[in-house]
Amino acid sequence: MLKTLGRRWREKLDFGLFTLPVLICIAVAFYIPFVMTIRYSMTKWNGISKHPKFVGLDNFQQIFTGDSNFANSAWFTIKYAILYIVIVNVLAILLAVLLDMKLKSTSWLRAAFFIPYILSLVIVGFIWKFIFMQGFNSLGESTGWSFFGLSWLGTPGLAFISILGVSIWQSIGFYLVIYIAGLQSVPDDLKEAATVDGAGAMRRFFSITLPLLAPSITISVFMALTNSIKVFDVILSLTGGGPGGTTYSIAYDIYRDTFQNNLYGYGTAKALILFLAVLVVTIIQLTVFKRREVEA
Amino acid sequence: MKTNNTKAGRIILEVILVILSLLFLYPLFLTIINSLKSFSEVMTDVIALPQHLALSNYSYVWKFINYPRLFLNNFIITGLGLLGIVFISSIAAYKLARTKSRLSGIIYFLCIMPMLIPFQSIMLTVLQTAKNLNLSESTWGLGLLYWGFGAPLAVFIYHGFVKGIPTEIDESATIDGASSFRLFFSVIFPLLKSVTTTIVIIDVMWIWNDFLLPLLMVNGSPDTKTLTLAAYTFVGQYTSDWQYAMTAMVMAVLPSIIVFIFLQKYIVKGVVAGAVKG
Repeated sequence: MLKTLGRRWREKLDFGLFTLPVLICIAVAFYIPFVMTIRYSMTKWNGISKHPKFVGLDNFQQIFTGDSNFANSAWFTIKYAILYIVIVNVLAILLAVLLDMKLKSTSWLRAAFFIPYILSLVIVGFIWKFIFMQGFNSLGESTGWSFFGLSWLGTPGLAFISILGVSIWQSIGFYLVIYIAGLQSVPDDLKEAATVDGAGAMRRFFSITLPLLAPSITISVFMALTNSIKVFDVILSLTGGGPGGTTYSIAYDIYRDTFQNNLYGYGTAKALILFLAVLVVTIIQLTVFKRREVEA
Repeated sequence: MKTNNTKAGRIILEVILVILSLLFLYPLFLTIINSLKSFSEVMTDVIALPQHLALSNYSYVWKFINYPRLFLNNFIITGLGLLGIVFISSIAAYKLARTKSRLSGIIYFLCIMPMLIPFQSIMLTVLQTAKNLNLSESTWGLGLLYWGFGAPLAVFIYHGFVKGIPTEIDESATIDGASSFRLFFSVIFPLLKSVTTTIVIIDVMWIWNDFLLPLLMVNGSPDTKTLTLAAYTFVGQYTSDWQYAMTAMVMAVLPSIIVFIFLQKYIVKGVVAGAVKG
């Protein structure tokens, strides 16, 4: 009796010793800051005064009614996220299908497309800034193409395309690797059987390969979504939000309000909206894709 | 006839793909050659090869940003972060996967739920929490902070893996008289080697290159900066001296590329395993 009681206490003690460290660390990194964010989002605070002034939901009201920066950056982020998710996944699938064939240079090719992914996004932004500002001049002179003469960071529409292109350049290797892994689990005999039945390459791709890639697509779209909604680093170093503030993303807008304009309460209110948006979009995306996957 | 056709087609395709990959890496090539040029050479022609190797760019940037110091900082932050993430996440995930109770389920949920919280949503308050705990403005403090940020994904991946390890292994070790710590470290942890590799790879790439958290935490003093952070401030000061900027880029990026070349196979495998699990 006493022995079993002792053992149960031992188990409880063990459970605590194994799980408490992680709980404390996660609380410090996420839960405490998150609760503080909720509290600050209802205050007016410049970060200096000792007592933030409680204003209720005023911040939120102001964000949704009278803040064109927020509306613009939200629109920028939505446009960017949709285009990024579609383009990076389509390109990565196409490239993965090509690289899945047995070529002599396969390992070189995979490594080459993956290399930008191991670089920090801030540095990638600077490298491309240099290429857009200096490199394109030289390339334009030696090729004579007017394409290189355009102001890729200086006109709003083109700056958007530049940010999108650079992000895709940096991360396509990651998605490529996921899709190659997915393709390798597609059984060869299915494709062979389809060939015998007279299906062409296109038909085989759309009727066999693509449906069987569904799990990889779910993962990749999920990753692309969560990453693109938080786009920040590359914009900071590539355009700095310019020209004329046309390339601010939500994450950048929050950063600017909080740390540059010292609107601590207002900035955290925006941050909370970003969290809710991410939560809702992720839940929808996961349910929709999981459902489709089961059917396939 | 037909096989000849497909063979020729393959060779053409291969050549096209190799050219495409070289074009893809051309920006990096431009970065390297321009880091070896003088200012006037960069200004006259970016795509030409350097006429005289301006290695002085490297010694200048090396001294100016105190490269050895930054490298050490990155090393401490990444190393400390990894040790902690692996340790606290593996023990917790193991216990959570082995305990079937409501409390265990709730704790597991609390552990992985933060994966949905974007860092920008909490960046100000993280900074304040860190200040209250005396963790800001120090490399060690930053390393410690990564424990919590890295734990959710690591717990998730470890948890999935532990479920695949038969409980008979635990039972036989317990019968042999091993305490639960002993059991974990001499029996279970070695079995987790492949997942640990995955987690280490994902987290090294992330912590080594991370920007926003170091910017908020250790940007105050040149002694605590990281490589990426120093490259960022350096370029900010030298926007027109592109030769130095490119040199700083190469020096910030070189360690990652060298590691990648040696561990390529494991890195790609680790990323795939991590993404499929995550």
